[in-house]
Amino acid sequence: MRSGTYTVVFVSAVVIVCSLLLSTAATLLRDRQDRNEALSKKQSILQALGVKQKMDGPAIDSFFADHVELFAVDLEGNIDAEVDAEQLDMEVEDKKTEASSRRYPIYRCTMENEVVYCVPIIGRGLWSKLYGYLSLESDLNTVKGITFYKHGETPGLGAEIEKDWFQDNFLGKKINDQTGAFVSIEVVKGKAADAYAGNEEKLSHAVDGISGATITSRGVTKMLNEDLTKYVPYFKQLEAD
Amino acid sequence: MADATETAEPLLSAKNRKTFKDPFMVNNPITLQVLGICSALAVTAQLKPSLVMGIAVVFVVAGANVTISVIRKFIPVRVRIIVEMTVVATLVILVDQVLRAYAFEVSKQLSLFVGLIITNCIVLGRLEAFAMGNKVWPSFLDGLGNGLSYAAVIAIVGFCREVMGFGQVFGFRVVPQALYDNLGYTNNGLMVLAPGAFIILGLLIWVQRTVSGHVED
Repeated sequence: MRSGTYTVVFVSAVVIVCSLLLSTAATLLRDRQDRNEALSKKQSILQALGVKQKMDGPAIDSFFADHVELFAVDLEGNIDAEVDAEQLDMEVEDKKTEASSRRYPIYRCTMENEVVYCVPIIGRGLWSKLYGYLSLESDLNTVKGITFYKHGETPGLGAEIEKDWFQDNFLGKKINDQTGAFVSIEVVKGKAADAYAGNEEKLSHAVDGISGATITSRGVTKMLNEDLTKYVPYFKQLEAD
Repeated sequence: MADATETAEPLLSAKNRKTFKDPFMVNNPITLQVLGICSALAVTAQLKPSLVMGIAVVFVVAGANVTISVIRKFIPVRVRIIVEMTVVATLVILVDQVLRAYAFEVSKQLSLFVGLIITNCIVLGRLEAFAMGNKVWPSFLDGLGNGLSYAAVIAIVGFCREVMGFGQVFGFRVVPQALYDNLGYTNNGLMVLAPGAFIILGLLIWVQRTVSGHVED
């Protein structure tokens, strides 16, 4: 049996060697990892914008440089040019006690004479946070696309939010009613067509739910309502102009 | 430390070859010892993540076996499991970091299951059963053999599930489109979910035990 001192020294040595190894690896790989993160975010924005073709890293960057602007808006609907919108984190902004100091990022994409707006959406599902993007056509009412790029929901149930069938449901849905008031979009239980049969108005704000994933569906409804609300003042100003 | 036999024994002696080969059939970690099932179910919906997971496990088992075997005579017995886990965890985090830098899409698919290699019983099992009591070279072979046989089994499962569940291999369509359009063929949704992996694994174990003649006591 070895002495206690030997054990302590040995274990310390092992731990120091391991941590040195790991911190070196983490430092060396950080740049590549950050770039991958950023690219994957941009990719999901592109998907939300309805850009179908597959692009590699440089192509994505040049597409963003040519077509996409990112800026920050406050809850009154004014653009704040002084904030670096790249650094904005919706969750951090939500926690700021003074609502007037919150700034939210929004993407404007100009493609073939068409302007599309894209906003981040963040909410809670059953197990995890859901991260995604929603884009609106230039009428600021019709949904152009939606994506979820990060979540930890159950495969086959809640994780269906990342599937095409679920996301395609949103295409063409309206976030405003006929008078122009904001009503958001609801993920219903079961089929939207059954839930609101014959009610065209309601149907234009409803999408099919995921069976077996009621809480995830409800989470999506809630995050759409809460996050889109933040941008409604800005949309109203755009319309007024 | 340098015993005479270490250099005297040829690198690919009959005993060493047996150490390497045994895990594939006679003593397969998945189909015989039924270890590492959790990850075998979780990551095998498609072939590509299965292969990457297999490679990651080969690296971790072989690397941990070698490391532990090198320092085996210095490890205080009372804290050996802690030391083993530290080494394994270090290797696993390394793999995870490298994947996130060089294979981002796959690492997103594998998500936490790379981290869970730490808890894969095959790894700790080989360290305890082999590396703690054997020289470096046989330990490396043992790790390689066990890692590769794990990789082989999950690759087979991944292949079957991707063909039946998606009609694809490596993301390329192998089941002809005409079959879907004209004959009403549909992908088997069960294969995409974990029970599909259970069924395939069960069949593999059946085949493997029929061939090797192994009977549970």
